[in-house]
Amino acid sequence: MALAPSLHSLVHSTAVTILQHDLPGLPVVVTQEVATFTVRRLGVLATHMRLGVAAIALFVRLFASIAGQPRLLWLSKTHLPLLGEYFRLIRSLSYAYIWEKWPDTRSDGSPA
Amino acid sequence: MNSVQQIWDDANESKISCEVLIIGSGAGGSPTAALLAEAGFDVLVVEEGRWVEQGTVAPFSLDQMEQQYRGGGVTVALGLPSIAYTEGRCAGGGTEVNSGLYRRPPTEVVERWRDRWDVRDLDPDELMKTATEVETDIHVTHLPGPASVPSQLLRQGADALGWKHDVSPRWMTYPDGNPRHGQRQSMTRTYLPRAAKAGARILTQCRVNKINISHAKATSADVSLANGQAGTVSFKFVFVCGGAIQTPAILQRSGLRKNIGQTLAIHPTVKLSARFAEAINVPDDVPVHQVKEFAPDLSFGGSASHAGLIALSLLDQWSDFKGAIEDWRNMAVYYAAITSEGRGRVMSVPGLVDPVVTYRLTARDRELLRSGLSRLSLLMLEAGATEVYPSFRGAPIIRGRKDLALAQKRFSVNKASVMTVHLCSTVPLGENRQLCGAGSYGLVHETKNVYVNDASLLPDAPGVNPQASVMAIAVRNARHFIAQEKPHA
Repeated sequence: MALAPSLHSLVHSTAVTILQHDLPGLPVVVTQEVATFTVRRLGVLATHMRLGVAAIALFVRLFASIAGQPRLLWLSKTHLPLLGEYFRLIRSLSYAYIWEKWPDTRSDGSPA
Repeated sequence: MNSVQQIWDDANESKISCEVLIIGSGAGGSPTAALLAEAGFDVLVVEEGRWVEQGTVAPFSLDQMEQQYRGGGVTVALGLPSIAYTEGRCAGGGTEVNSGLYRRPPTEVVERWRDRWDVRDLDPDELMKTATEVETDIHVTHLPGPASVPSQLLRQGADALGWKHDVSPRWMTYPDGNPRHGQRQSMTRTYLPRAAKAGARILTQCRVNKINISHAKATSADVSLANGQAGTVSFKFVFVCGGAIQTPAILQRSGLRKNIGQTLAIHPTVKLSARFAEAINVPDDVPVHQVKEFAPDLSFGGSASHAGLIALSLLDQWSDFKGAIEDWRNMAVYYAAITSEGRGRVMSVPGLVDPVVTYRLTARDRELLRSGLSRLSLLMLEAGATEVYPSFRGAPIIRGRKDLALAQKRFSVNKASVMTVHLCSTVPLGENRQLCGAGSYGLVHETKNVYVNDASLLPDAPGVNPQASVMAIAVRNARHFIAQEKPHA
């Protein structure tokens, strides 16, 4: 849990960017809630997985700061080992949370 | 139930003692605790997770994953592909959170274990008698009425194809006779209360870091509590029952490594979502029908299917599949599970709290998963599905038989979401010292008083839900221990 604050700073904005792109109808306040949930759940992963996520998240943040948000979205669609799994993990936790909590959410993220 | 502070405050120091320490309270640890306590042993059960009353969390929900699963339900065996798995971490272990489906080990599997691993006195008939006793204790029974619609669809599809299928019983009671109102007879409802009634102490939120062993004899365990307090439990005997991942990790941290954690066996699984013309979804239950035409190599069944899990199953090809999520009430998730010839490893790494787990699928495993997903797609079409959404990257929507060839062509295991809920065989039992980490009754080789009694002992994956095998062998081993050792009192 000691890594939780740094994980938040590394992952939260990336999760928000991905959600805004994948689910443009998702209300802003919901997007923030989902991203916060996702970061919190990453914080309880097994030690080695948490360390791996933190390392990849750091790389992704550096990449985004240099290359910009459009390139981050391009990166999030790649299927490279580890990197692809990082983005898949963010999407898995986020989508599961959205449709478990609000099952009638439309496919673009807008409320039913 | 005893809480952390109650037991520790009673002791009023950082050390407590018992005659038998049982680490873990799942399908292996709980019956062991009940039988030993009833035989007069002074038993202490320590469980890393919390005691969560049934009914306080929604089954198969993210809340349940957070409260009752290790790592919030996100645990992975590394490999190509990585394989997601789940481990219960709560009082009762996996029995609190799994599907509750019950399958005796096939006789030929027990014979294979006995012969290949040289397991002394492992008689299939005797083991089935023990299984019968377990079935009474945990109320194994069939549904009192019709199965759910997603379950019936499996049967319909199999009937249309002429494939064998059957209905799995569950460890459930149905107080009002309604098949939708089953109450899971997990360890917190059965063996743990029995153990407590016989005098066993049950300590939750207590993690065992290491067993202290000198000259092949274990004397104590170093533990840490949820409040950060460290302590020591001294004992005469210890049973490690933390499940197929945690048990080898604890043994390795304690310096025991020979044939421990090197032969992880699982049932790898691939999934799909099937969409029907009418509402069929049952969010809080799983189908009881299973299709066994290709068993033991390949089996088909149904998974939990609330909207969040439907979304997860569509994720790999979201750009094409996303529209289906708005029709989730007409959908359900189904799986194809294989008996794998691959093996994995559990490795405790100094400095890391959790073990690193790896798994390698063989070429035959990959081909079975490919054919399994294709056959499962066909099964769902025959059941009346209008559209089938396989869970792999690049998958097409399957609307008819003509689409099956394309799906099979595009499929690659490395693009698929492979997962498992059945883990075993990390400390196989038997007298064959080349293969086995423990003796025929679970005593870890080259130790005098360290026993394993959980899924780790199964020599390989049984090809069916393993809980019945785990419990029958645990009861067998506990009885052997009682016959060999006398309680101090």
